[in-house]
Amino acid sequence: MLEITLFYIAATVALVATILAMTRANAIHALIYLIVSLLAVAVIFYLIGAPFAAALEIVIYAGAIMVLFVFVIMMLNLGEKGDAREKQWLSPAVWAGPALLAVVLFAELLYVISSANGPVSTGVVSAKQVGLSLFGPYVLAVEIASMLLLAGLVGSFHLGRRYLDRNTPEEEKSQRGAE
Amino acid sequence: MNASQMQALLPVLILSLTAVVLMIQASIKRDQKLAWIISALGFLCTLWATGYAREFAQPVTILLQVDSWSLFFSALVVFAALVTLVLSRKSFSPEGERKEEYYLLLVLSVLGAVVLIQSSHMVSLLLGMELMGVALYAMIAFPEKGLLPLEAAIKYLVLSACASAILLFGFALLYAATGQLSYVGIGQQAATAYLSNPLLVMAGTAMVISGLAFKLSVVPFHMWTPDVYQGAPTPVTGFLATVSKGAVFVALTRFYMDAQLYQYQPLITALSIIAVASMLIGNLLALRQEDIKRLLAYSSIAHFGYLLVVLITLTGTGMASDAVTFYLAAYILTSLAAFAVIARVAGEDQHKTQIAAFEGLFWRDKIQATALTVAMLSFAGIPLTAGFMAKFYVVSLAIQGSYWFLLSALVIGSAIAIYYYLRIIFSMSKTSVIDSVGDIGVQDYSANLTALLLTALILMLGSWPQPFITFAGGL
Repeated sequence: MLEITLFYIAATVALVATILAMTRANAIHALIYLIVSLLAVAVIFYLIGAPFAAALEIVIYAGAIMVLFVFVIMMLNLGEKGDAREKQWLSPAVWAGPALLAVVLFAELLYVISSANGPVSTGVVSAKQVGLSLFGPYVLAVEIASMLLLAGLVGSFHLGRRYLDRNTPEEEKSQRGAE
Repeated sequence: MNASQMQALLPVLILSLTAVVLMIQASIKRDQKLAWIISALGFLCTLWATGYAREFAQPVTILLQVDSWSLFFSALVVFAALVTLVLSRKSFSPEGERKEEYYLLLVLSVLGAVVLIQSSHMVSLLLGMELMGVALYAMIAFPEKGLLPLEAAIKYLVLSACASAILLFGFALLYAATGQLSYVGIGQQAATAYLSNPLLVMAGTAMVISGLAFKLSVVPFHMWTPDVYQGAPTPVTGFLATVSKGAVFVALTRFYMDAQLYQYQPLITALSIIAVASMLIGNLLALRQEDIKRLLAYSSIAHFGYLLVVLITLTGTGMASDAVTFYLAAYILTSLAAFAVIARVAGEDQHKTQIAAFEGLFWRDKIQATALTVAMLSFAGIPLTAGFMAKFYVVSLAIQGSYWFLLSALVIGSAIAIYYYLRIIFSMSKTSVIDSVGDIGVQDYSANLTALLLTALILMLGSWPQPFITFAGGL
């Protein structure tokens, strides 16, 4: 019964955060809600006995990918306008919602860790088991996934290059001036 | 994995090797001619390997099922890719544009299609479909000039992502119901799971089929098709119409058979509705098209409606799987011929893909006009072409199983279709414009040779199908 309640709390947090992420007009607000949503999914993984998947979810999705997004958006916001906008992002109205949802998840996690027998009812999937099946029966899937990444890399390289090859307006102006 | 399994996997291995060699070549010295030759050699070796691997047919790990059926379709897909490669050599290549990435993406996309064809497990189904799709998005948006390719790529990307999400949700529901991820495993468990929880099994199957149906662009999942067909570069459109759709249909057939989905009546009803809607709506909407690429987009919707009729009549044994083989082979060859002619005659010019621009083609370029005529007749299902034999299979299967409702939709759809296919032929034979339109330029021997080869194959399949039928029966 307990696990079910915990699961539903985390699932509700995930749903609410995802819906808010989709409806925000500002990219940074949306991304922060998306991070909370990914954290909630990680908690669900943890509750159903897959701590390794939970850790990966946090390290890769919420950590690496989302932080990369936030960095890029913040880097593009240079100049005084950007400063003003970043100040606006630091107002409580922006971070209060995501923080509240994250606190719910954190409380849930604390409760699970402090309770003696843990929430798991069906056994834990360890990192070793994940590795064994990835490089055992699913070894071809790993190889095909590597090709999938290659396709994504080459495709995004080609699509991005049309903007890299072209000179920026400032450079073109200076070239014309030199002539 | 032992040596015998490695040999069974040879087509996949050679394609992967080609991709790696192309990467290395691009990093040493960028040369698009060399890249073209490497890709062509890779495809030819893969074609040979699909024949070689037949002696080693077996399941390779739990993910792939290498058997003569999947090897035949792998060969067909690689052949289609080879034709695409020949068509792409001259098209959308303005001075200075580098195309090595295009060839690399083409090889990767074919690799995805082959994995999809050989898959016997949800994981390889998804990975193959994504690999094929991700490479295709970039191929559609490849030309650096013009907004239409970008628009087409974004539409395809967003809707494909939606379809993949639905597919994954379907997998999750089926896994919850049966605890299995392989097609055969689902087939063994689904019947018992259906008794205890019919909703879960049906919702899961319906979502998986919707995800695949999006890629096949059957009604009501067809909205993206005309825009993407029109916006993509013509050789890529041909690739999308043949390789992508063909591979997904093979995967769907295998899933349908191995998971024994033919025993669920609600599912058959849903599939019948989709098939009838595709046949009628696809053909009706094609009537009013002025752009030949959009017209072929709607016609492909109708053709996958006909193919779904074959799927519905599949009940585990007999002639139906031959019919899938024959229909897909005929459809892929005919589409290739049509797009080869369009790529040669119209290139990437948006005005030249109008049907009006094809007027008088018989007097400007006899070979291409003949090839397009044969392709249109084959699409319409006129005797002596491959399309006739294919449709003959469908009709006789529908009669045997007494699917009268489907049959009547098929007949009405085909009757409508004859109008717009013949309209293109009439347009090509108009004499009024001979003087005003000049010659289409220098002779292109590779394009003429491709068109002639495909025409010969279509006519051979239609007029002397016996060797192929025996061959398909042995698969």
